[in-house]
Amino acid sequence: MDVTIEYNHIDRFIRGLLSHYDVIAPVARDGRFIFDRIDDPAAVSPQYDTTLLPPVKWIYPNNEVLLEFDLRDITKAEVIAQGRPQALTFVHPCDINAINLMDEILAEEPSDANYLTRRRSTVIIGYECLGPCKENHLCFDKGYHIAYKGFDLFFTDIGGRYYVHVATEAGREIVEEDGSFKKAAYDDWVDLMKARAERKKGFKKVIRGDMEMLSHHLKKAYHNEIWDIEGKKCLSCGACVIVCPTCYCFDVSDEICPDMEKGVRTRRWDGCQLRGFCKVASGENFRKDAAERVRHRVFKKEVYLKKRFGRSGCVGCGRCIDYCIAKISIIDIFNHVMDRVRENV
Amino acid sequence: MFNFLPMPATVTDVSQLTDRERLFTIRLDNGRSLRHRPCQFVLISLFGIGEAPISISSPPVDSGKTFELCIRSMGNLTNAMHKLSVNDKIGIRGPYGNGFPIEKIGGKDILIVAGGLGLAPLRSLIKYVLQERGRYRRVILLIGAKRPGDLLFREEISEWERDPAIETHITVDAADPSWTRHVGVITGLFRNVTIDPLKTIAAIVGPPVMYRFVIREILAKGVFEGNIYLDLERRMRCGVGKCGHCQINGIYLCQNGPVLSYLEARKLQEAL
Repeated sequence: MDVTIEYNHIDRFIRGLLSHYDVIAPVARDGRFIFDRIDDPAAVSPQYDTTLLPPVKWIYPNNEVLLEFDLRDITKAEVIAQGRPQALTFVHPCDINAINLMDEILAEEPSDANYLTRRRSTVIIGYECLGPCKENHLCFDKGYHIAYKGFDLFFTDIGGRYYVHVATEAGREIVEEDGSFKKAAYDDWVDLMKARAERKKGFKKVIRGDMEMLSHHLKKAYHNEIWDIEGKKCLSCGACVIVCPTCYCFDVSDEICPDMEKGVRTRRWDGCQLRGFCKVASGENFRKDAAERVRHRVFKKEVYLKKRFGRSGCVGCGRCIDYCIAKISIIDIFNHVMDRVRENV
Repeated sequence: MFNFLPMPATVTDVSQLTDRERLFTIRLDNGRSLRHRPCQFVLISLFGIGEAPISISSPPVDSGKTFELCIRSMGNLTNAMHKLSVNDKIGIRGPYGNGFPIEKIGGKDILIVAGGLGLAPLRSLIKYVLQERGRYRRVILLIGAKRPGDLLFREEISEWERDPAIETHITVDAADPSWTRHVGVITGLFRNVTIDPLKTIAAIVGPPVMYRFVIREILAKGVFEGNIYLDLERRMRCGVGKCGHCQINGIYLCQNGPVLSYLEARKLQEAL
């Protein structure tokens, strides 16, 4: 089912969502955008580039409580896995594709109760990218600038109104309850097709080579000099893995309440780029050089996840490039590897 | 679906093995046995402190549904463990990992190489093999420690030395005046051991630096790469292949390991 909604009805639509869901939307903050919980539709900025943190972090939050325990009685520990109904709105296709991959990763047995519980209480309203949102992205090379699934509703700006694809039952309920939607007419569809035709002109390839072969080429570049070059630049701050929409490594730690009786076991985001990530109790560090860690990040996305799930773990959002203070760019790394392959042919 | 809730368990016995290691006997409060395989591990949990992965030191067939954990005091959790006494409670998750492929080793010579704390997981295999002694041909045990005082399970080692069913060789890196046996690194023990390369299954656990030297010795004796098993240790945080700490190239050691054959491990650049 396809419908349309006019620009000036969007506020009412979001107010309707607010009565059922925590609404998470892109908002402007300090000169950039973030996904934040809103209670005023006026705060929403549908025209945004890329948010600092990806929306998936609302399904996989930092410092998530896993257990509540009682220091006096071990049997009183309880699992905490709950999700409030939330709506992630105006989500770009790259981030939708990231959530799709995270769904698969965390549903793989033994599946992650906390993620899945939160995911089930989340509706996703996608927002089509009709052109590149910024520099430093490679979503087009990867084909992740389009999302085919993983949303309940999907909005496309067709001038004066949005074309809305209703993908799920939850999406249909939202649309039916809200009176602002009109059934899409033939002209709306024509405008949609025009907008999409324009899209093709906007995006440009940034990787010099066949992306399908990237995983294969990387495997051969395991001992390439690029890892040392980038490793020397890397400050091991972990920014790249914290902003990545498909990074899910975590650490588990306990916090005790001030009453010294109760406490919580939480999980925090951790990152393979941090120095101590692979350090064990004996002091041995199994990935002690930054070069090894940089390589691991790239291989995890492009080789290991690809092998397990049949597609690349990098959705091309470019956040890791934007937030790297050492200016390490996966685009440069991929191009270096591709160029080397071409030289050796 | 998986959650992080540990099973409540009780410490039923504590014994001091060396200055740094203690052996804890644990019983699950739900009355079940752990049903583990040799060389699997559990995550032990003390609320308020955290979790740590510990190899299981006892064989699968247990007495009184208990299992044993040999724990060196090294960090926050293990230091706190060492303060526990009988009847104290701990949490257990697991067992995790693939464990030793015991179904593949019947009728073979079993060569077990344990360096330092590597004897802790391998003791589960040694005791299992001795329980099922009739299913195997020779059982050869090579044990190395830094100093005589660091040797774990000294009483059991003495029993194994007297036991004709098992050929036991021991070495220490640095001897004291009372030491009468071999001195030197563990690879030195291979000079005194004859190995039938076509019939031998090797199991190796030790500090990371030990593996490649021991593997080289065993390969030099002509043993097939797929018959050499390594139990690798990493920082297993979650035990369910998610948290990323134990990842070696494309595999999660807590799920696909900790036991890998050398044939598998040598394809993983980060393994050894």
